[in-house]
Amino acid sequence: MLDIRFFDLLTGSVKTWEIFLISRLPRLLAILCTGIGMSVAGLIMQQLCMNKFVSPTTGATISSAQFGILLALLFAPGSTLWGRAAFSFVCAVLGTWVFVWFIQRIRFKDVVMVPLVGIMFSNIVMGVTNYLAYKYEMTQALSSWLVGHFSTVIRGRYELVWLTVPLVVLAFVFANHFNIVGMGKDFSQNLGVPYDLVLFMGLTIAAMITASVVVVVGSISYIGLIVPNIVAIFKGDQIRGTLVDTALFGAVFVLVCDMIGRVVIYPYELPIELIVGVIGSILFVGLLLYRLRHGRKAVRLGKAAKKTGGAA
Amino acid sequence: MFVKEITKRYDGKAVVDGVSFEIPKGKVLSLIGPNGAGKSTVMGMLSRLIARDSGLVDFEGTEITRWKSRELSKRLAILTQANNVQMKLTVRELVAFGRFPYSGGRLTQEDNEIIDRTIAYMELGDFEEQFIDELSGGQRQRAYIAMVIAQDTEYILLDEPTNNLDIYHATNLMRIVRRLCDELGKTVILVLHEINYAAFYSDYICAFVNGKIAKFGTVQEVITKENLSDIYKVDFEIMQIEGKPLSIYY
Amino acid sequence: MKTHKNHLRLLILLLLVLLACVGYMTVGVHFENQKLFAYAMRIRTPKLIAMLITAFAIGSASIVFQSTINNTIVTPCLLGMDQLYSLIHTAVFFVAGSGSFLAVNANAAFAVDLAIMGAVATVIYSYLFRKTNHNVLYVLLIGTVLTSFFSSIQTTLTRVMDPNEYDTLLTDLVASFSNVNSAILVLSVAVLALVAFAFRKELALLDVLTLGKDQAINLGVDYDRCIRRLLLGVTLYIATATAMVGPLAFLGLIIANLSRQFLRTYRHSQLITGSVLFGMAVLIGGQLLVERVFVYSVPVSVFITVGGGVYFLYLLLTQRKA
Repeated sequence: MLDIRFFDLLTGSVKTWEIFLISRLPRLLAILCTGIGMSVAGLIMQQLCMNKFVSPTTGATISSAQFGILLALLFAPGSTLWGRAAFSFVCAVLGTWVFVWFIQRIRFKDVVMVPLVGIMFSNIVMGVTNYLAYKYEMTQALSSWLVGHFSTVIRGRYELVWLTVPLVVLAFVFANHFNIVGMGKDFSQNLGVPYDLVLFMGLTIAAMITASVVVVVGSISYIGLIVPNIVAIFKGDQIRGTLVDTALFGAVFVLVCDMIGRVVIYPYELPIELIVGVIGSILFVGLLLYRLRHGRKAVRLGKAAKKTGGAA
Repeated sequence: MFVKEITKRYDGKAVVDGVSFEIPKGKVLSLIGPNGAGKSTVMGMLSRLIARDSGLVDFEGTEITRWKSRELSKRLAILTQANNVQMKLTVRELVAFGRFPYSGGRLTQEDNEIIDRTIAYMELGDFEEQFIDELSGGQRQRAYIAMVIAQDTEYILLDEPTNNLDIYHATNLMRIVRRLCDELGKTVILVLHEINYAAFYSDYICAFVNGKIAKFGTVQEVITKENLSDIYKVDFEIMQIEGKPLSIYY
Repeated sequence: MKTHKNHLRLLILLLLVLLACVGYMTVGVHFENQKLFAYAMRIRTPKLIAMLITAFAIGSASIVFQSTINNTIVTPCLLGMDQLYSLIHTAVFFVAGSGSFLAVNANAAFAVDLAIMGAVATVIYSYLFRKTNHNVLYVLLIGTVLTSFFSSIQTTLTRVMDPNEYDTLLTDLVASFSNVNSAILVLSVAVLALVAFAFRKELALLDVLTLGKDQAINLGVDYDRCIRRLLLGVTLYIATATAMVGPLAFLGLIIANLSRQFLRTYRHSQLITGSVLFGMAVLIGGQLLVERVFVYSVPVSVFITVGGGVYFLYLLLTQRKA
């Protein structure tokens, strides 16, 4: 946004308006959709799995979505963006289902096992993707989806990301259901909420949000992991109460990261994935150490933090 | 060997608070007390496994942390509570580790003889070639104690050695402790939960409450109705059996 | 008796490795044409040596590292040590500039990298172990995050250096099997040998370390010093391997655990030998397959990643149950 001046827009310079509408506005919208979508997807997954470390990154959703894109490139080389998206949706949803089914079957004692297994799971999916890409000489074509970036977001090539909006609204409508399912199978059956249905519907929503971002922007890790956790530290765990905050904070987070990426080597720009990767991994490690030091309470510290906040 | 004013704090809370006592040489000393009284922490500080915040542990005239680790390990052996080994290790190989301070991993004929003797002493002959992780908890515990015995040190420190042992093996172990002291002249320091084992098999008892010494003395001095009620906050009856004060609580 | 069985096993492994070496050197070579033969030898010999060295470095470092922190599902590369080396190498290049002495002289750059790596990695990882109280799951999770952290910074640096040609620059900076850094062969052999010699005393203590911290201290090991030195040695080994053929995240995990399962012993002389031999067999055999069967289309590291990932999950899940 840096060198478009409000003044120019107001005075109605045609060229400026054109740039604005073709490139800048789509980019802004894509950023907002990405930030909101990924963090809400992360929040839903965390709530449903009852684990603060599950997210599209640590739950094999992103890598499955990429795998889907590769399949589209292989089997339907002429497919449009929407065609690829369809492949990606299917794979992301399936990948997430398989992963969650897997972790629910195993029932790990230690919460940290889940993201660890998830990361390895996505490593394997990514390895298979790489294998196919090498084998069919698709590495070049695939590489633009591996490192997420906004530089190719222009009018006509990004509208798919708007899909996140209705999906997020849907998530908001069912927020209470997700909360209840998060309390466990017995708990939700007692309240008459169909556990499996809501669980898989929630995962599907999260996976579809993720896939629609990955198809347009490429992979962006950590947002779905970091943003909900940071919000939870300050606002507590109730999904309904934190959904809006999470969405807004996610949007701001991605916006700030994008601005950093554009400033560092101006006039070139760094892909958003790199910036988020650096900042996100630092925050994640901090979060882990914080949790370790404060034992079980931490990361679920919402209430305690609220209390001290209230006292102050 | 004696300790003077040793203190250990965790998160600002003193777990062991200014404890001083002298360890009677050539005797069996048992540390008893309720959970969280600081017995195991004292044991850890005696054996240099736990760093202390202040105070002094004197071992044969020299502060214990000044000792060369290898030299100290020929004079003082400790067995802690948590022992889990992921390695594929047979009982005999574990016991052989007790000779490490002397041989550095290359066993001499003499080392092998000591290992053989120790295995017989601890009745481990039947499964000396079995892997440690295939044994029952009690068998494993005995294998570890055999290792410490093979270390052939003047001082032997055992932190709750009777844990995981059934009555037969626990009693046997306590007899071995007694023999180590009487026949070989070793000084044995134990942390024990079983008051009666402590009373029957030790010479001295040191009772801890809240990180401080509540009572220190011979068995007859410490194991009295009043003392035990004070320490454990329940009622005790004392009976004299074979000249030892055994307690009943309810 | 068990020792003899293991010696036999190691012998079989050694034969396998020799077979793989011979296969790698001879399959598809035109013996009758002198010129082509000489060419093939010139191409293949440094590659073979690089793989042998890599297997030696990663195989021994992984076993030592596992015993040092007393867990068999963790390896230095899973904690991002190899990525850290790539990052340091890139950063040195970044600071020194592309025209500098360091950029031209591979050996000098390697020496500088090693010095920095030794210092930085020891600080980072001993901090990590202390902070997590050696809680293996946390160490692993943070390690995997660090891996992506290091590679993100590294890619960023590369892009900053050359926004247009970063892909080429990246290939230049990070070695791979198709781009073996053969300039440093001699120096790296020297480094590996020197480190092994300097740390021979600590290596002798490895068997005792596997009993755990308390027992090791009880048996007279100067624990903290010993761990620190071993960690430094591991770091230098991983750095050497990475400098030669680039990051290989899962290789160490695969070969170290294969060796442990195959030999079922605690003796580190055997475990390390086994791990090294497995590494050589996997790398050379894999490369032979890749070059002859897949005709170079898929790099061997891809197979190692997929196989290693599955193997890791298997280990993680079976270990947890026990």
